[in-house]
Amino acid sequence: MTSIYDTRILNLVIFSPLLMAALVLFLPRTEKAQIRAVTFVGMLFNLATCLWAWTRFVPRHPNEFQLEYRMRWIDDLGLSYHIGVDGLAMTLVLLTGVLGPLVVLASWTYVEERVKEFHLALLVLQTALIGAVCSLDVLLFYVFFEAMLIPMYLLIGVWGAEERQMAATKFFLYTLVGSLLMLVALLAAYFIAAPAGSRSFDYATLYNGLMSLNREVAACTAAGDCSNVSAGASALLRWGPLMFIAFSIAFAIKVPMFPVHTWLPDAHVQAPVAGSMILAGVMLKMGTFGFWRFAVPFFPVAARQYQVIISLLAVIGIVYGALMCLAQKDIKKLIAYSSVSHLGYCMLGMFAFTSEGATGSAYQMLNHGISTGALFLLFGFLYERRHARLMADYGGIARVMPVFTAFFLIVTFSSIAVPGTNGFVGEFLVLLGSFKSNLPMAFSVAATTGVILGAAYMLWMVQKVFFGTVTHQENLGLKDLNRREVLAVVPLLILIAVMGLRPQPFLDMLNPSTERFIARAQYASGKTDAATEDAKVRVRVRELPAKADVVAEAAPAAMPRLMPTGRILPAAALNLQNP
Amino acid sequence: MSPVTLALVATLAPAVAAVLLLVVSPLRHRGAPAAWLTLAATVTSLGAAIALLVARLGGAPDARATTSWIEQAGRPLAEVGVLIDGVSLVMLLIVCLVALCVQLFSVAYMHDEPPKAFGRYFALHALFLFSMNVVVVSPNLLQLFFGWELVGLSSYLLIGFYFARPSAAQAAVKAFWMTKLADMGFLFGLLVLFVSTGSFEWTSAPSAAVATWVTGLLFVAVVGKSAQFPLHVWLPDAMEGPTPVSALLHAATMVAAGVFLVVRADPLFALAPGTREVMLWVGSVTAVFAAGLALVQRDLKKVLAFSTCSQLGYMVAALGAGQAFAGFFHLGTHAFFKALLFLAAGSVIHAVHSNAIDDMGGLRKKLPLTTGAFVIGALSLAGVPGFAGFFSKDLVLSSLEGKASWVPWAMLLFAAFLTAFYMGRVVIKVFWGEPGARAEHAHEGNLAMTGPLVVLAVPSLASGVLGGWLATQTSAEYHLHLGLTPVLATVMSLAGLGAAVVVFGRGGKAPLTAVLERLDTFSLVDRAWAGGYRLGLLGVSALAGWVDRYLIDGLMNFAGWAALEGGTSARRLQTGLVRDYALMVVVGVLALVLIGVLR
Repeated sequence: MTSIYDTRILNLVIFSPLLMAALVLFLPRTEKAQIRAVTFVGMLFNLATCLWAWTRFVPRHPNEFQLEYRMRWIDDLGLSYHIGVDGLAMTLVLLTGVLGPLVVLASWTYVEERVKEFHLALLVLQTALIGAVCSLDVLLFYVFFEAMLIPMYLLIGVWGAEERQMAATKFFLYTLVGSLLMLVALLAAYFIAAPAGSRSFDYATLYNGLMSLNREVAACTAAGDCSNVSAGASALLRWGPLMFIAFSIAFAIKVPMFPVHTWLPDAHVQAPVAGSMILAGVMLKMGTFGFWRFAVPFFPVAARQYQVIISLLAVIGIVYGALMCLAQKDIKKLIAYSSVSHLGYCMLGMFAFTSEGATGSAYQMLNHGISTGALFLLFGFLYERRHARLMADYGGIARVMPVFTAFFLIVTFSSIAVPGTNGFVGEFLVLLGSFKSNLPMAFSVAATTGVILGAAYMLWMVQKVFFGTVTHQENLGLKDLNRREVLAVVPLLILIAVMGLRPQPFLDMLNPSTERFIARAQYASGKTDAATEDAKVRVRVRELPAKADVVAEAAPAAMPRLMPTGRILPAAALNLQNP
Repeated sequence: MSPVTLALVATLAPAVAAVLLLVVSPLRHRGAPAAWLTLAATVTSLGAAIALLVARLGGAPDARATTSWIEQAGRPLAEVGVLIDGVSLVMLLIVCLVALCVQLFSVAYMHDEPPKAFGRYFALHALFLFSMNVVVVSPNLLQLFFGWELVGLSSYLLIGFYFARPSAAQAAVKAFWMTKLADMGFLFGLLVLFVSTGSFEWTSAPSAAVATWVTGLLFVAVVGKSAQFPLHVWLPDAMEGPTPVSALLHAATMVAAGVFLVVRADPLFALAPGTREVMLWVGSVTAVFAAGLALVQRDLKKVLAFSTCSQLGYMVAALGAGQAFAGFFHLGTHAFFKALLFLAAGSVIHAVHSNAIDDMGGLRKKLPLTTGAFVIGALSLAGVPGFAGFFSKDLVLSSLEGKASWVPWAMLLFAAFLTAFYMGRVVIKVFWGEPGARAEHAHEGNLAMTGPLVVLAVPSLASGVLGGWLATQTSAEYHLHLGLTPVLATVMSLAGLGAAVVVFGRGGKAPLTAVLERLDTFSLVDRAWAGGYRLGLLGVSALAGWVDRYLIDGLMNFAGWAALEGGTSARRLQTGLVRDYALMVVVGVLALVLIGVLR
């Protein structure tokens, strides 16, 4: 049953944290407890709206994007406020929603300075994260994508450890370089995808425009003669690979993939527990999500061209990240490098371009958010007590903090993909997908060794930190987790078990997205006939409402209505049409 | 109840106990309730298994039920469920019975632990039994892998039970990691099987080449789990766990999972003669090698650990000879007598508070019941005619007749001699001879300790006669035949015992002791692994760490530095002095003119 709320829920999901931030703004800065409580309630409310959206989402619906909302914004630029979610976006939204309250709980006593600003940053960050995932307008996505940098920069730079400013700057510059490249490519796509007069940054316009051009490019490349193609196709032929690379660099930095990962260890080590949790839990997924939603579907021909290279980088990331973990003395750095390794699986699964691989990749995104988020959360509790990050500073912790140890072990098992935990499902599907794909067998074999290395470094760390006798006097007095801390971890533990034992509900959510992703990645590769393929991959969205700002309640039309003129930036100005 | 329901009850009862103990912490912290709950779950499982047996004796057919676990594109990618046939039913009975005996024994053995540790111990036992039952009833290889990894996990947690002892923590990690290393073979095998046949069933018949790959990879996992040469090094270290744990996991059931896997996947292995050839040799070498090392151990549990390696070698050799039934039969009898031996050893250790054989001696009078139990187990292990071990070992040896020009057969006969010899040594040194320093105050444990010994002594003595029945249940052929092999085997075992009496009865040493001891303390295989780990893994990772820090990050930092320096240098151009700017304008114009003229 459709309800009139369906078109509005997402707005609430995105902006409820921002509204709460407005409320926090009016609280006196000395009332720390109040600020924390209000933020916590705000995050809970946000989670409730996420859950509401989840229940309204129909997994096997013919429409790709649901809970859509579209509003005119800047007509002259072809920019509209357009949001909506598919299965993957919906699960990522829920993940963000779940982590929100936990982050506040985790920082309850961790942050004692500038409490108000801290919680404002958290709330703004939440809005930016959810907004980016929900955006169906690429420029809007870009705005949110950039917007999340600022609060995160502050979280690391203000509330971080000793070298926080170096880490924050590094993080900011790295990401900014990438996203500027993306902006250039985005503008190029804007000009190529549609003729002057019907240009738009809307996902549907861009995708559908590029889709037919991609078909032309693929056909003419196959025929070996590309002299008589349309202007758009010839532009795509020439610039497509570069545009794909620009998008890829932007997202690869965010993932992060080898060799542009070096900001991550620094950022994680210096960030406060909240920063690490959100960074690992959600923000890194913006990279993989970007590949999934934009880079690969927009440029399938180029993506297939670079498939082996990106997969190779993913495999290197898996093994290299795991080896780096073995070389660490610092626990937070170890967890950070394990992220590089785990996200390598995500990328490998995605670029296997098989349905198992893509499903595994999507599942792995969620897994990583939960397990690594939980690892950072738990380590944050230890750090708060002891203010030491080196493994040598601990030992025998199991004796003094048994509950903490039990929790940490469960999360460790999830991280090393023991069956029965969520990690197993994701890793298994990724490996299955890469085995089935056209990638060299050696890739899958190398990726599998990552599993063993994972067991090595995690168990090694657990042994050093938790087992043996207590070697430092300071550790004898450590208190086990209190009720608030247990409350912050338990939801993640439940998710680990539920997603490990009963993955199907989540997979049902993801599968339609996976199928479309594969169809788009394989677009115009000559495996299916053009008509059915076009019908399958074409993006259908809600029409832009008529001039008066009202939301169209009607079902989405078969084709988006084309945008009015793009007067400000004539194509000739950049001359991309006829290079 | 239907067989499927019963099988589910048998599998899930321990899971319920484990989850309850994990979530409801007061139960665990009090200790005793945890023991009761776990025992109740085990009794339930055993009851269900017995009910299944009764139904089967009444003519119930095999039962199989699966449900989809992961779906892909509308059809099941992976299924989970239960399969009850002769093999799984017998295995289920063995596992539940031994588990019950061991848990009961543990109640007394672990009595001195603080309540929290006591509760944790039983919670882990419940987890283990669930995992093992998942392996046993699994209808396909994927679920078997699932349980396989979970038993590895329980093993890790139970070996590391005394986590405050660094050696125990080390042993736990070593065991987990080495079996996990081998498990990659399992994972690869599954993937190869699925990609080529589209299913995880052991009945799916791939081509011969694929079958060789799949079985070869599966066998790697078997080598790890069943502690075969050269991945056996974790098993002796695993003795750091409590003795009842060694009895259940590292002797009777978990380590036998590798053999169980091969028995299960027999249709696949039948397609791969190459793999079987390898198995034959690996099994034989392990049997002899481990028996040799068992001879010189000074730690009672380590003797039994190496003995387990050796006996698993027998099973693997039989499987390699293509006689899955022989391997399975030996698995069954071995589970009983080895659990008995370990529990009896536990009783001894409990009495003298030491693992060292030298601390024992002359315990026969102080611990008569334990002595009886240990001797029954030892005679069964040695393969003395009439005891259970005789029948199954004879079958294994018969299955090797004529294989690979009789060499494995001869090796295993020699191993039979060694087995009797080292068991004779242990029995004499521990129960006869001069009382050791700590043997003075030794006394027999209570009923919870002695009861399981008595219960396990019965099948150790008599389960050999069940061979014929077992064969019909697993639709294999079995007939006791009199020929060269059983006679020779009998001679070997009696000779081994006799030699032990002659040599050790007078406090002598075995020939070659010095060499073997050197071999044992030097532990070449262990060192090779440790060296490989240190050099290969830590070395490479240290190198990678250097590359990351100085090369990759250095490059990125250099880019940042270059931009900064470039900016600083470029800033010097902006001096703010008009004459400088005028100079630049002039230079610029001149340059343009020059370019124009020269072109």
